[in-house]
Amino acid sequence: MSVNSLILRNLKKNIKNYYLYVFALAFSSALYFAFVTLQYDPSMDEVSGSVKGGAGIKAASVLLIAIVTVFLVYANNIFIKRRSKEIGLFQLIGMTKNKIFRILTAENFLLYFGSVTIGIFIGFATSKLILMILFKVTSVDDIAKLQFSIEALVQTIIVFAIIYLVIMLMNFIFIKKQSILSLFHVKSSAEGRVKRVSLWEIIIGILGITLIVTGYYVSSKLFSGDFVTMNSLAAAMIFILASVIIGTYLFYRGSVTFVSNLIRKSKGGYLNINEVLSLSSIMFRMKSNSLLLTVITTVSALAIGLLSLSYISYYSAEKSAHDSALTDYYFTNHEDAEVFKTALDDRSILYKEREIEVIQADFDMTDVVEVKTEDSNMTDTSSMVTPVISEQSIEGVNLKEDETLFSGYADIMDQFMSFKAGGDVTLKTKENDLALQFLGTNKESVVPFHFTAGGVPTAIVDDSVFQQLKENYDPEIQIDSMIYIGMDLEDDNDLEKAEELYSSFKFNHHNVSQLDMSKKYKLIYGLTMFIVGFLGLTFLITSGCILYFKQMDEGEEEKGNYTILRKLGFTQFDLLKGIQAKQLFNFGIPLVLGLFHSYFAVQSGWFLFGNELWTPMIMVMCVYTVLYSIFGILSVLYYKKVIKESL
Amino acid sequence: MKILEANKIHKSYGNKFNKQEVLKGLDIAINQGEFVSIMGASGSGKTTLLNVLSSIDRVSTGSITIEGKEMTGMKEKQLAEFRKHYLGFIFQDYNLLDTLTVKENILLPLSIKKVSKKEANQRFEGIARELGILELQDKYPNEISGGQKQRTSAARAFIHEPSIIFADEPTGALDSKSASDLLNKLSELKRNRKATIIMVTHDPVAASYCDRVIFIKDGQIYTQINKGDEERKNFFKDIMKTQGILGGVQNER
Repeated sequence: MSVNSLILRNLKKNIKNYYLYVFALAFSSALYFAFVTLQYDPSMDEVSGSVKGGAGIKAASVLLIAIVTVFLVYANNIFIKRRSKEIGLFQLIGMTKNKIFRILTAENFLLYFGSVTIGIFIGFATSKLILMILFKVTSVDDIAKLQFSIEALVQTIIVFAIIYLVIMLMNFIFIKKQSILSLFHVKSSAEGRVKRVSLWEIIIGILGITLIVTGYYVSSKLFSGDFVTMNSLAAAMIFILASVIIGTYLFYRGSVTFVSNLIRKSKGGYLNINEVLSLSSIMFRMKSNSLLLTVITTVSALAIGLLSLSYISYYSAEKSAHDSALTDYYFTNHEDAEVFKTALDDRSILYKEREIEVIQADFDMTDVVEVKTEDSNMTDTSSMVTPVISEQSIEGVNLKEDETLFSGYADIMDQFMSFKAGGDVTLKTKENDLALQFLGTNKESVVPFHFTAGGVPTAIVDDSVFQQLKENYDPEIQIDSMIYIGMDLEDDNDLEKAEELYSSFKFNHHNVSQLDMSKKYKLIYGLTMFIVGFLGLTFLITSGCILYFKQMDEGEEEKGNYTILRKLGFTQFDLLKGIQAKQLFNFGIPLVLGLFHSYFAVQSGWFLFGNELWTPMIMVMCVYTVLYSIFGILSVLYYKKVIKESL
Repeated sequence: MKILEANKIHKSYGNKFNKQEVLKGLDIAINQGEFVSIMGASGSGKTTLLNVLSSIDRVSTGSITIEGKEMTGMKEKQLAEFRKHYLGFIFQDYNLLDTLTVKENILLPLSIKKVSKKEANQRFEGIARELGILELQDKYPNEISGGQKQRTSAARAFIHEPSIIFADEPTGALDSKSASDLLNKLSELKRNRKATIIMVTHDPVAASYCDRVIFIKDGQIYTQINKGDEERKNFFKDIMKTQGILGGVQNER
């Protein structure tokens, strides 16, 4: 038999084992090619021009390479170990190591570049689809059309060729290092031997769980006002990360063993088949994979967390735009407003108008404000610039001459300061100071972010006080405008027409269209979500594959056990039920842990990103869980085959 | 009383064009409480016979009944059910699960039968004490010696009180001291529990502990000898003699 036919036969024999590898490789090369194509595509300018989308996509493609390289190197390691016997056999019949290496290289070459070629074709075919998805999430109205990009092709081929060389180098080192004897034994030495549960492991186990719980606890306290300076906040975040990641590692290293051992002990040696297959096997195997599992869990948590946060931002884009603009349109200048109003009237578009005079004034709030942060620019409570409006601008507010109410108090402010329920404040005009009684705060914002520096509450005062202020305000602290003219369309169906009008004018002063703003938000968050989403998907598929490959190996190793159990009279169905329980743990533990990690991460700071937590987060988590479960199900199917063949 | 009866069992491997007949019409009957060993040269079909009798493999033609139940027509699921109630196994390479302790390994067959925990513990203590492995109960298989492993395996075979125990070269991997220990224990268990044991071996010493030895050659029964009231030593000599004839003929060919 010639070497060539040997290669082909090996390939044929192994292709069944490799189908997921081929799939993952094709998928990642397809995605990489599509990303690179997008990068070179002229129609991306609209997305990239405004928010540096090109840079984002470029960064994503670099990350993609990192994920794919790690995956391929890891998968290759699993495969070469599996074939060590074969390599040993070749050596035994007198083949040189170099020749074996050449055979392996050729074999891998066919498999690898076959998959990459398939991937590039799929990538080209789907890059239009991907672009359409991108346009859809970023609400860009453009027709997705793509040309085949030679640059993208060349770049993809170069990158994957380099990864191939890395893999070959690893194989070369592996083969060089092995002797014939050790090749025959490599499989059995790869997994840790069964050992008694030691006291040390119990300690590690308890420590692992404690660290994770501590990390969670601190994360829930992160933004509740216990950490007030930037430094302590950063320290707390680093602490959470370290404690959760180390905790996760120790969890796999000891806690799983420890907990399953406790359960076993409680059974007094009388285990049923599910426990035999799941508990006893996981107990010893999770430990040897603890580093891998920690990485998978942490990166899954990161992916789910980032995806949730970007989805929360995206989901809240309209609400955020509404919060910062308040009305469909607003202007800060009478001329601009008049131009737009006339245009609206001409088209007979009905709208409600509100006009509010806003004056920035200096307050002494020493009596009512408690500052939590030590950052210097926020601490001076005796001189705080605050927008002031008259009670007459707001419906349903009636204040006495010496009273003031603060409206539009943002949650984020809690981080830095808190208001007391009542007290005295001093409004400083240019000439005299007015003592006012502070009635408290409410959340409803009354003027757009433009006037409130993004979250400072607005002081509402009696009209007489306001008139005094108007006479005597300090011009130094005013912003570019002192008037807010808001317009709300009566009929939302007119929005499109109004938007068309709005964009046809060129205004001289600051003005905002809420629709335009929410589109801008959506563009940014949509692009982020798009990139994080596809990276997350790649990671999910590659890590799912690695877990699956591990399970394939485990299945082969445990085949002997299934033979014994079937001889003892367990049916295939009994065994399969046990395997399902086992896979529930094998795939479920990293998944649940990852979900918990990301839940606590998102929970601690989600309000910085948007105003809806549950819907976006749960959707992301469900999608992740479903996709992830596919690999669990595939592995059960593989086990089914192993069990069937075991007798 | 006959507990196992096999009539004209044939077993062949391979396809239509390349057929290898391993069993060529064997008839075997085993009585309740008998300790029978099957001997023969390598490739004579003794392991195939054991597999077929113990329902792990299927016969091509012929019938096998255990306790009056015909096994040959049973479906996979019924066979598993059958094994769990009527059969016990001891193997040359022990076939213990590495990840389970001695006690857990031994109790495995009971967990399928849903025996109560209390009764399971009682039975475990009984059998483990008889086999002298009670103090090993919390050890893992890789922490005990080959002889102890094989006794664990034997305990697992006996614990659910099966009708027949099949032993495939149980002494094959043991040194002579452990082997004779095990065989003494097996004989003892057989007497105390009135168990039926069918053992495949090519070790005449092991065979000499049995009540009856069946010799197989080329897929057929060559002869069989009974121990009767003889001493074990004499019986051993008989076995050696028979084996000599059996082997001699083979070598001349």
